[in-house]
Amino acid sequence: MSEGMSLEHDWFPRPLPANVTIGERSWWYSSFACLHYRSRKPHGVRVGRDSGIYHGTFFELGPDGEVEIGDYCTLVGAIICTNSRVVIRDYTFIAHEVIIADRFAAQPLAEPGGPVPVGGGPSEIVIGENAWIGARAILLSGATIGEGAIVGAAAFVDFPVPPYAVVAGNPGRLVGRTR
Amino acid sequence: MNADELNDIVGGWDPAGLPTNIRVGAGCFLERKESFKRFRSRRNPGLALGDRVKVYTWTEFNVEPTGLVEVGDDSTLVGAVFMCAERIRIGKRVIVSYNVTIADCDFHPRDPDVRKADAMANAPQGDRSRRPVLEARPVVIEDDVWVGIGAILLKGVHIGRGARIGPGAVVTRSVLAEGAVLGNPARAVEFLELRSGKRRRS
Repeated sequence: MSEGMSLEHDWFPRPLPANVTIGERSWWYSSFACLHYRSRKPHGVRVGRDSGIYHGTFFELGPDGEVEIGDYCTLVGAIICTNSRVVIRDYTFIAHEVIIADRFAAQPLAEPGGPVPVGGGPSEIVIGENAWIGARAILLSGATIGEGAIVGAAAFVDFPVPPYAVVAGNPGRLVGRTR
Repeated sequence: MNADELNDIVGGWDPAGLPTNIRVGAGCFLERKESFKRFRSRRNPGLALGDRVKVYTWTEFNVEPTGLVEVGDDSTLVGAVFMCAERIRIGKRVIVSYNVTIADCDFHPRDPDVRKADAMANAPQGDRSRRPVLEARPVVIEDDVWVGIGAILLKGVHIGRGARIGPGAVVTRSVLAEGAVLGNPARAVEFLELRSGKRRRS
């Protein structure tokens, strides 16, 4: 993991990894978000413009993990733990204590020099444009959230959610539509 | 942030400074010193970690003076919040994922009148000696159990060897060996393949 830029406002005394890029006018609270970051992909985390990555957000990426975040997204404390790919498209809100992971008993993916724990779904997780993920929701491999959909607070989703659907509960169920 | 403050949150601190009734096995990784801030056990040991146990930043050992937490070799505690009044025992090779709570006691009485008295005794300037005696029932998690993201395990549950606790499950009853549970309250599911997308909404 080579070193990238340092954030001016950062309290955590480490630079961001070199394969993290942040678009114009976007906010990233601290390099602490990369406490357990091991991505060796060309673009470990890419954040578009006008997006906010706020306190409590963590990118727990294994060597093959990568996250792409679009424009005008707001993440206020999600933990993304994957050795695969997570895509969060434009205008998405992700509330507090949400976990997005490639396995149900997720853990930080390999300490330096250690092996990556086995398991993990290979499929990428995609959160469509203009989606809204409620507090404490859990999204696992198999979850693809359609454009404009809502995932209710504390819902558990590991299946495709159609565009403009509303899902809630554990296990998650379709409970309505947004249009 | 100075070097000591950094070490305190990235596993660079010396566990020799922990209370003497905390036993730490060989090759453990203890990331954040604050995980032990609310450890108040007067038992010896009050916390016993086996060899090669990993304790990540979100874990908290909230252990009352009467409590004992034991964790077996090669277990991983990612975000395990322990609320322990008597005994919580975790076996070997157990994974406890993010945002998990494990409590062996409800910590407040069920009866509303007694609970009101507890609220007063528990006030910032309250008389803690007037707190009621609370029933605790130990929690046991056997070897090779995986506790999924966001699960809550409540007092008295026994989780059998190799069981799988689904994400967000609220576990109020024991789970058989090799069993799998999901939901709130947690119910047995026939085959919890939480990664394949086989379990569909129905």
